[in-house]
Amino acid sequence: MMNHSVSDHLKLKFFPFLGLLLFCLVSFAMPAWAFCGFYVAKADTSLYNRASQVAIARDGDRTVLTMANDYQGEVADFAMVVPVPVVLQEDQVKVADPTILDRLDAFSAPRLVEYFDENPCAPRPYPEMFRLESEAPVAADGGTSASNQALGVTVESSFSVGEYDILILSARESDGLQTWLRENDYRIPDGASSLLQPYIRQGMKFFVAKVNLQEFDQQGFQSLRPLQMSYESPRFMLPIRLGMINAESEQDLVVYLLSRNGRTELTNYRAVPIPSDANIPLFVKDEFNDFYTDMFQRSYEREGKNVAFLEYAWNMGNCDPCSADPLTPEELSQAGVFWTRPGEWPSVFISRLHVRYTRNKFPEDLMFQETSNQQQFQGRYVLTHAYLGPTSCPAGEAYRRQLPQRFEQEAQSLARLTGWNINDIRRQLPQIDSVRTEQPRFEAEATDSWWQSLWSLLSL
Amino acid sequence: MLKDARDHQIVFLTLFLLLGVAMRDWSLRPEMVGVAVGVSLAVQAGFSWATHDWSGRKSSNCPDRQDFSNPNHNPQITNHKFTLNWRSPLITALGLSLLLRTDHLWTMALAAGLAIASKFLFKANHKHFFNPANFGIIAVLTLTQDAWVSPGQWGEEIWYALIFLGAGGIVLRRVGRWDTTGMFLGSYALLEALRNLYLGWSWDVWAHRLSSGSLLLFALFMVTDPRSIPNARPARLIWAGAIALLTFILRNQFYLSTAVFWALFAIAPLTLVLDKIWAAPRFEWRKRFSFEPNTLPQA
Repeated sequence: MMNHSVSDHLKLKFFPFLGLLLFCLVSFAMPAWAFCGFYVAKADTSLYNRASQVAIARDGDRTVLTMANDYQGEVADFAMVVPVPVVLQEDQVKVADPTILDRLDAFSAPRLVEYFDENPCAPRPYPEMFRLESEAPVAADGGTSASNQALGVTVESSFSVGEYDILILSARESDGLQTWLRENDYRIPDGASSLLQPYIRQGMKFFVAKVNLQEFDQQGFQSLRPLQMSYESPRFMLPIRLGMINAESEQDLVVYLLSRNGRTELTNYRAVPIPSDANIPLFVKDEFNDFYTDMFQRSYEREGKNVAFLEYAWNMGNCDPCSADPLTPEELSQAGVFWTRPGEWPSVFISRLHVRYTRNKFPEDLMFQETSNQQQFQGRYVLTHAYLGPTSCPAGEAYRRQLPQRFEQEAQSLARLTGWNINDIRRQLPQIDSVRTEQPRFEAEATDSWWQSLWSLLSL
Repeated sequence: MLKDARDHQIVFLTLFLLLGVAMRDWSLRPEMVGVAVGVSLAVQAGFSWATHDWSGRKSSNCPDRQDFSNPNHNPQITNHKFTLNWRSPLITALGLSLLLRTDHLWTMALAAGLAIASKFLFKANHKHFFNPANFGIIAVLTLTQDAWVSPGQWGEEIWYALIFLGAGGIVLRRVGRWDTTGMFLGSYALLEALRNLYLGWSWDVWAHRLSSGSLLLFALFMVTDPRSIPNARPARLIWAGAIALLTFILRNQFYLSTAVFWALFAIAPLTLVLDKIWAAPRFEWRKRFSFEPNTLPQA
């Protein structure tokens, strides 16, 4: 069973990911919720249950945070608020390449691997290299205005980057900040004040972004590009509480953590490797997204809904099998890897954490630490095409006899992983009977008893 | 059956290790545990042998070289025979296996070796003042780029907390140092509660910050090491409170995920001062277990 190829890999597209981080809010219109906080969209509840994507490249205290922006409402309605540990100046914020998070996603996505059994009677060829496939989705829209200061709110800096107008605010009291935001046309939900307070009292600042429509139109982009901020702080955390003010539904967040030395771990929640390396039936190839979402949901429930899932941990210099080409040094730089040197392939280790969170199971923001753990892990699912052609040797017969058992095992692991009905799965397994009719000679031999075989050997 | 609290401790730490591997998907490698145990025992044997009083007088400065294999042994009586104290290094090795993570065996060997060596090298008034496992952890965190501690690995399941508390309670009752755990957990919880109140977080944030399996393990099995902590109760309470305060500061002001270990390490030498101020009898196992001399449970 040698020839293999990677078919398909899992994209986040089946969790259409929503903007990001923190506290997204918007002027005008109605609030909806995402990881970052709330979006304001026009009564569009379809924004719930989206997955956000964040990349964090960190070495020492230096951090580059990239937030995907897949806001899908009116650009004019978009704004977001992200607590940040320090005041950011203009040169610390930039607009990242729109495809960079998709590249990270494609590279680290759980993958389906396909193998083809050889004719057991034929000599084994040298294994082929993996064939690769990848794809890339995009982000979305948004945008409006902000204003001056009052109520203990200080505009620490104000600048424009690409299609965004950025304000860095500090505040003395949360009520003042809430009022300021409202006076400046940011519609934020009731209850925001009490969640802004802990961040204010921890000395954090607020990164407020909205879209400069004129600039957006001039740039000609169809959707908002990711925002990327660089700062230095011993705090290694991702605020998720703001996004849960009144969200009852589950929200998905995928974090790509890039470090120089090894895995990045969560320190205040447990991280569980997603079930991996399972052999599953062939038909899953056409239903891989359903398979993965159902398996993820089942794992999430089994673990009590209060853990993060590790989907990938790998040195970015290679992959095996690859679901997308490794990122080039230029792409790594775009993703925030700042420890690259010209002409050198930087040492980058990626940890991909998938967090599905709700208010009651994830009360605290996510805290991380870098470790030197180089142990690699990937979510990988194996399809093996059975050899169903004619065979002409005893090994071929033995091979075929074990196929039903193998298919059954694959069916059972699929049922166990996803919760799918085992009988529905069995109906979709390959039919071995048809193989048998093609090979009456071996079919007959297969029913021979051991003594008949012995006699035939002795020509009795 | 279990002769002293160290036996309980060995059983419980082994249980936690197995529990972690079975239920928590730890990427724990058996050879790593093997190295920790082997090196701990070997270094203990080496130091014990080197410092053994072959003349037959009971050594006054090395509590580890006593005859633990003889249940009727009285450490005050002359002893020529060299026997290995295997419990203490085994506990240290199990503690390291539970708490310390590394990719390389030599890092674990270094941690175990330095942990045990610290017992013999850093002592005053016949008492070592660093918890060996804690010393080993801090040593490799500082000296190598290859070690880390995973505070999130236990999750926050309540039944773990109950197991830890139950097991820790049994050990502590036998050791008689529950006051240290109580003071540490109590003052740390209070500090976190005050912070929570000030920041305005809901109380589930506070509960989540305290329901860490690693914190409980530390509080029940490491900060209570009866041989390296102050002898008098008032001193122990101050000492445990100081560790809680330092942990709180390191965690919340300096964002150190390994705050408890640094706090214990930094406060450990304070034992000497506190013991001078409160001259109370040193912890001796024989007061509670006439059949068994002293040593030092440690996580």
